[in-house]
Amino acid sequence: MLEKDKFYVERCLDGHPDDYRYLVRRYQGVLLANLAGKLGSRDRAEEAAQEALVRAYFNMGKLKKPDSFFSWLLGIADNVAKEHQRKEQIQRQREIVRSSLQESAGTELSQDYALETAIAELPEAYKKVILLRYYGEHSCGQIAEQLDMPLGTVTKTLSRAYAMLRQSLRQQKQAEVYEV
Amino acid sequence: MNCAELKELLVAYVEGLLEESQQQAVAEHLRGCRSCQAELKELADLHDRLVTNGKALAQSNLEKDVMNQVIREQNTRLKAAERTSVGGPRPTLQTRRTIMKSPITKIAAAAAIIIVAAIGINYIMAPSVTWAQVIEPILNAKTLIFDVIIGSDESGMTMHEIVVDSRIRRVMSNMPNMTMIIDLDNAKLLALDTEAKTAIYTDIEGDLGDRTRSYIKFVRQIIAQLQEGQVQDLGEQTIDGQKAIGFVGRGQNEEVTIWADPQTALPIRIEAKIGQEFSFIMKNFQFDAPVDESLISMDVPEGYTLQKTNIDLGNATEEDFVESLRIWAEIIGDGTFPQAIGPEHAMKVMPTLIQKLTAMQVTEEKGTQIGMGFGKGMLFHQILESQGQWKYAGAGVKLGDANTAIFWYQTKGSQIWRVIYGDLSVKDVAAENLPK
Repeated sequence: MLEKDKFYVERCLDGHPDDYRYLVRRYQGVLLANLAGKLGSRDRAEEAAQEALVRAYFNMGKLKKPDSFFSWLLGIADNVAKEHQRKEQIQRQREIVRSSLQESAGTELSQDYALETAIAELPEAYKKVILLRYYGEHSCGQIAEQLDMPLGTVTKTLSRAYAMLRQSLRQQKQAEVYEV
Repeated sequence: MNCAELKELLVAYVEGLLEESQQQAVAEHLRGCRSCQAELKELADLHDRLVTNGKALAQSNLEKDVMNQVIREQNTRLKAAERTSVGGPRPTLQTRRTIMKSPITKIAAAAAIIIVAAIGINYIMAPSVTWAQVIEPILNAKTLIFDVIIGSDESGMTMHEIVVDSRIRRVMSNMPNMTMIIDLDNAKLLALDTEAKTAIYTDIEGDLGDRTRSYIKFVRQIIAQLQEGQVQDLGEQTIDGQKAIGFVGRGQNEEVTIWADPQTALPIRIEAKIGQEFSFIMKNFQFDAPVDESLISMDVPEGYTLQKTNIDLGNATEEDFVESLRIWAEIIGDGTFPQAIGPEHAMKVMPTLIQKLTAMQVTEEKGTQIGMGFGKGMLFHQILESQGQWKYAGAGVKLGDANTAIFWYQTKGSQIWRVIYGDLSVKDVAAENLPK
């Protein structure tokens, strides 16, 4: 890992937009994982992630603590996801009215949609740890620093997150069985 | 340790976070406990699934799209802010001092475009458009931003260039971490590694020929020569999604095609072919976009370490060229000469060269020396392109093969040919004795 988030945030605010790319690199995987579970397709997740990143850049002046860029970005992504979901709902209703028979176009699911859905449903604290660990390539030590908590707490949170993910994946599987 | 206690530790065990003694205790328990083994298997499966999915998503590349959008939107906002700046609200991001205000008269970029437009004027001007109108925006162009694609089609490597007066900021698409800032007035180049935060100054004095320094200046030169040559009207076509009027000029050794907006006479796309091998395309022109002064500053940015280098890129010689052939065969080609040579190919293999040097664990200083040496030799070849003739026949030849000629050239005005062999020896050869 290179510099801390704070360094790049300050560089951007100081008029070096080029340096924003390091933050994009660092968090694109995290955002995609979070958004794919919410929006149900890789394409939609990419679109929303891009929008969230651009929005974050232009609102960086409003970020009170540069240290908390990650949590703040995740919040923006959640808002974007909500807006997209709302738009999609309206669109889907219109489509249904137009033709109830036509298949809705292109919902190409990402590779492990079940897992992404399960992650999206995790409570905030657990989600952050899972996202940073596996989608943001942070070590547990780096997570402890990033989220300002002792290493032991990170390990415990991770352990509980695993249990919740397993539970959620099991439920999804059962639901599938009933559907078939 | 009982099963309940163990289960608490299993995730940490999978993650390798346990201390030595705990690690051993867990392993011990697992050996004798089926149910905990099954539990471990499930956790490990989930762990693998997370890692796999994480890797798949981390590979996606949002960077380019996001950065393009950020820069584009930033420019729009800056322009809007400037229009309403007097007493208006300050933009959220600091715009800092921009170059636009500086009273520059001698502007390489703008001058180049004037000639580009001048040559097209006879063909483009609709009766309602006057000469004054056409040159007005061009004369006032103080900054110029464009992309240069090296090669004859869109698949080549792209250089993003920002030209302000005699300064150029250049970033190559295949080495996004390297930024070069070139000061033409003082013939100096500042190379910045934005990842490693290192900076290197290089002198580029000597007879490199302007095109190695500034593409826009080079195009201007060619076009100045072309005025006596033949210019052909290509009529109207759709280019890069917009209506454009084209014309092509052919000189002795070069061919330049220019596509311009029929309304404004501003160039949209310029395609150039020089000599046998060298082509480039210029596009995505932005005239007068605000450029932050820091982008073209020759000072080492804060937080960067300055590295010393005493390589002078001027006056490239045959010896330099032979050295770059050696580097190409020995280091990049694992003992074999490449399929083709030339700037386009050389730039494409630069990342490979860097990888190989890293793998060889050469010192940073040595690596820089080899990289610069490679570039310098290629400059000799580039000069031959316009001031001589050459032939490359080294594809697949092994380094050390003394019987096979890999390259021969003749400089303008010389009667003799110089022939380079696979063992990198060089001999004088009369024209009639050249390899076929």
